[in-house]
Amino acid sequence: MPTIAYDKTDLIRLIGKEMSDEELKEIIESIKPSVEKIRENEIVLEHPADRIDLFGIEGLARAIRQYTGIKPGLCKYKVKRSGLVIKVDSVPVRPFIGCAIVKGLKLDDSSIKSLMNIQEILHETIGRKRRKVAIGIHDFDKIKPPIRYAGVSREEKMIPLGYTEEMSLKEVLEKTEKGKEYGFLIQEGKLWPVFIDSLSIFSFPPIINSERTRVTEKTKNLFIDVTGTDKLAVLQVLNILVTNLAERGCKLESVRIRYKKKVEETPDLTEKVLEVSKNVVNKLLGLELEGKEIVKLLKRMGYDSIEYSDKLEVIVPAYRVDVSQPVDVVEDIAIAYGYNNFELLEPKISTIGKADELEKFSTRVRNLMVGFGLLEVVRTVLTNQEEQFDKMEVERKNVVEVENPVSKEYTCLRVWLLPSLLKVLSANKHVEYPQKLFEVGDVVLPAEGETMSKTVRKLCVAISHSAAGFAEIKSVAENFLTSLNVQYSLKMLDHPTFIKGRACEIYVKDKPVGFFGEIHPKVLENWKLEMPVAAFEVDLESLLS
Amino acid sequence: MAMFVLTEEGKNYLEKGLPERRLIELLKKVGRITLKEAEEQVENFDIALQWAKKKGFVELKFNELVLVKEPESFPEEEALKKIDAGEEVDEKILKILIQRNLVKKVVRGEVDKLIGKEVTNLSPELIKTGIWKKVKFKPYSITTPAQKLWFGKLHFYKEFLEEMKERLIGMGFVEARGPLVEMNFWNCDVLFMPSDHPSRSIHEVFFLKNPNTGKVLDKKLWERVRKTHEKGWGYWDPQLAKKLILRSHGTAISARTLYKLRKEDLPFKMFAIAKCFRPDVIDAKHHIEFEQCEGIVVEEGLNFRHLLWYLKEIASCVGVEKVRFKPTYFPFTEPSVELQGYVDGWIELGGAGIFRPEVTLPLGIEFPVLAWGIGIGRLAMAKLGIKDIRDLYSEKLEVLSKKFLV
Repeated sequence: MPTIAYDKTDLIRLIGKEMSDEELKEIIESIKPSVEKIRENEIVLEHPADRIDLFGIEGLARAIRQYTGIKPGLCKYKVKRSGLVIKVDSVPVRPFIGCAIVKGLKLDDSSIKSLMNIQEILHETIGRKRRKVAIGIHDFDKIKPPIRYAGVSREEKMIPLGYTEEMSLKEVLEKTEKGKEYGFLIQEGKLWPVFIDSLSIFSFPPIINSERTRVTEKTKNLFIDVTGTDKLAVLQVLNILVTNLAERGCKLESVRIRYKKKVEETPDLTEKVLEVSKNVVNKLLGLELEGKEIVKLLKRMGYDSIEYSDKLEVIVPAYRVDVSQPVDVVEDIAIAYGYNNFELLEPKISTIGKADELEKFSTRVRNLMVGFGLLEVVRTVLTNQEEQFDKMEVERKNVVEVENPVSKEYTCLRVWLLPSLLKVLSANKHVEYPQKLFEVGDVVLPAEGETMSKTVRKLCVAISHSAAGFAEIKSVAENFLTSLNVQYSLKMLDHPTFIKGRACEIYVKDKPVGFFGEIHPKVLENWKLEMPVAAFEVDLESLLS
Repeated sequence: MAMFVLTEEGKNYLEKGLPERRLIELLKKVGRITLKEAEEQVENFDIALQWAKKKGFVELKFNELVLVKEPESFPEEEALKKIDAGEEVDEKILKILIQRNLVKKVVRGEVDKLIGKEVTNLSPELIKTGIWKKVKFKPYSITTPAQKLWFGKLHFYKEFLEEMKERLIGMGFVEARGPLVEMNFWNCDVLFMPSDHPSRSIHEVFFLKNPNTGKVLDKKLWERVRKTHEKGWGYWDPQLAKKLILRSHGTAISARTLYKLRKEDLPFKMFAIAKCFRPDVIDAKHHIEFEQCEGIVVEEGLNFRHLLWYLKEIASCVGVEKVRFKPTYFPFTEPSVELQGYVDGWIELGGAGIFRPEVTLPLGIEFPVLAWGIGIGRLAMAKLGIKDIRDLYSEKLEVLSKKFLV
């Protein structure tokens, strides 16, 4: 979801019609992006990830023109063959390229800015931070063909953009900012990808361009190189870039890419044709649209379409890289229709609602606990081993551990609730006593099976005041079990968290399901607690079954 | 020191008169009466007959009762009155009253000393001895601050969730649950999220160090999902799909539920309040754990207009009546819609859509399925007036005991 700022004056100029801020906001939000801010001369949008064609200001203006009827229907772009051939050697780390020549530029500050802007945004999004796709934009008139895309040794030299001295590619990775940032993307390859003309290396994708082919206000013609690891994405990015530039009145020329075994002409702006049945549209949207109406709605979204009996042939422009299935077109029909223009329809289906058994049981238990005078707390499942084990004076056990924790405090999932409650007690030493807490919550235990773990619902009670002890917690535990009609037996429990001789294990049908007792002063010390604590923890699922 | 008080029976006779008096009053009226008739008309007849005969007031002649002597007075009644008032009575009568079980002896303790004084506490002793009649109660100040009370209480956020649940069950939704540790496959791949989708990166999802890989249970489904990705996106990373993660959205539960669904279960509505995890920096607006309320509606012939109807109804479950819809994007639904509600201004309540065929077909469902998700935590905050998301999981007892669901 990239957030992109646009020059409002430039946008209005590209739309070709004055609009108030309110109008502009309403139209843009009806199309899809969210308007975060509109200010004096700036409009900031948050874009959904699919409509990459709207990221650039030119594409955004195009969509607004179509939607508002200023210029509805398909935008056609002419591409002339330039005759330029680019030979592609085998470059395993970055095998795919797409190139284009864009002529007749009138670059001013705002258009250079928007070009650099869109380049960065495409890198970040569909480009997956340049790994999947990277873009190089050059002054075409400074390139001396023949051009070759090749894998070369890291000792080859170039002058990177923004530098005056020649460096080896290895040095580019070590010395330049971009080299340090993106070097890892190619480092593993033996040969590194470069574009070379008859003079020298002028592009080192996905790292940096050369100083020699730098784009300036005087640049009239552009050479665009797009490289990557995913061919489809490479060609899509190229199409979006060149159609945006064509919107500014530039002329597009294609380039012949000669791989070892085949030849391709890029950019290829041939439209895709999707067959969409009228019935599918109406069934999915709950409408009764005539073919003619659908054609008209599609024009607002930049499609041309032809009606054939009960089907529509929809012509999808090359920049609409997100459209692959009829359902994608159906959504655009719904957008053109206006989401808020749909009449809501109550479905005539009847079903019987039901609570999950364990959830229902949990609610009963929670209500019971409130009757016992206990205050409910809700704690995180994420925690750390120090709290789960060390502070409780128990040996560390196997737990579900996070690979990428955000802090030392949250590195694993809890296996019992008691540490969570002791933590709450230790955070409330300044508050009046007694403090009587409970939590009904989940713990996750390593186990065999699909997810190699098991989510288990538990109840924990902790009572703290100057006279809190075994008798009180025994009475809570046993009255709780009795009130649920549970047949249980007790066995003495030797557990380092509790004082020896003051802890019990609860058995139901010969299976241990929980325990209660008086917390050992060593544990209290670990939590910096100065009041006695008695606690009770039980597995709710085994009580339910 | 001992004193005497009325028993329940004594109190009863004090109010209604002695039984023998009642018998005599009757005979005075009718002259003579059969035993059977008298028994019907006089309460406690046995006692009345016993004492009236003993005192020589009545006699039995040919099965009929006759009044032989009219009593001048009933000293026992006078004595009962006196004892009730706390006055002394003649010992002879007292003995009879004790014998008749109309009066009992109680031991007076310290309470005796309170007679005529102002007392603070009303004690059981004062009530039992009747001395409460001879004391004054000290009036209290009603403005003295009340003592702080420890009380049990449900958590305000859980109460909010319960209310939402109740409404959804009322709408015919069946509650579902799912594991907190999830296989990427269910969390993302089944939902047609491409392997390199940015929201699957380590910045958006908690991956696990241990255990880190799950087990493929249904190889056929696995193959169907692989083919769908390869056709739709051109690639699929099965190693990534096997990785275990902490569930990052509730839609994983919807995917699992759809998989288990049988034809005979239809029509079917499911919801789940799902705890989800995301590696965020914890601050007032972000937390690593949060809840989503997720749901699906499964039945042939459902469409976009039905979806919008459900969204409006679901918003009204939590008291949001004014809603609007906006296009948005999710990799697993098409069309997709953002639900906005007016709470304290327009806020985003959640997202919804119709599952893409790439999601439903591999799961064996051949018609559109409506799916929605509500950012329930954010909604709870708006409704409860909470500004800091960390307060939903607060460890401050002051917050927990004071915050109420209103």
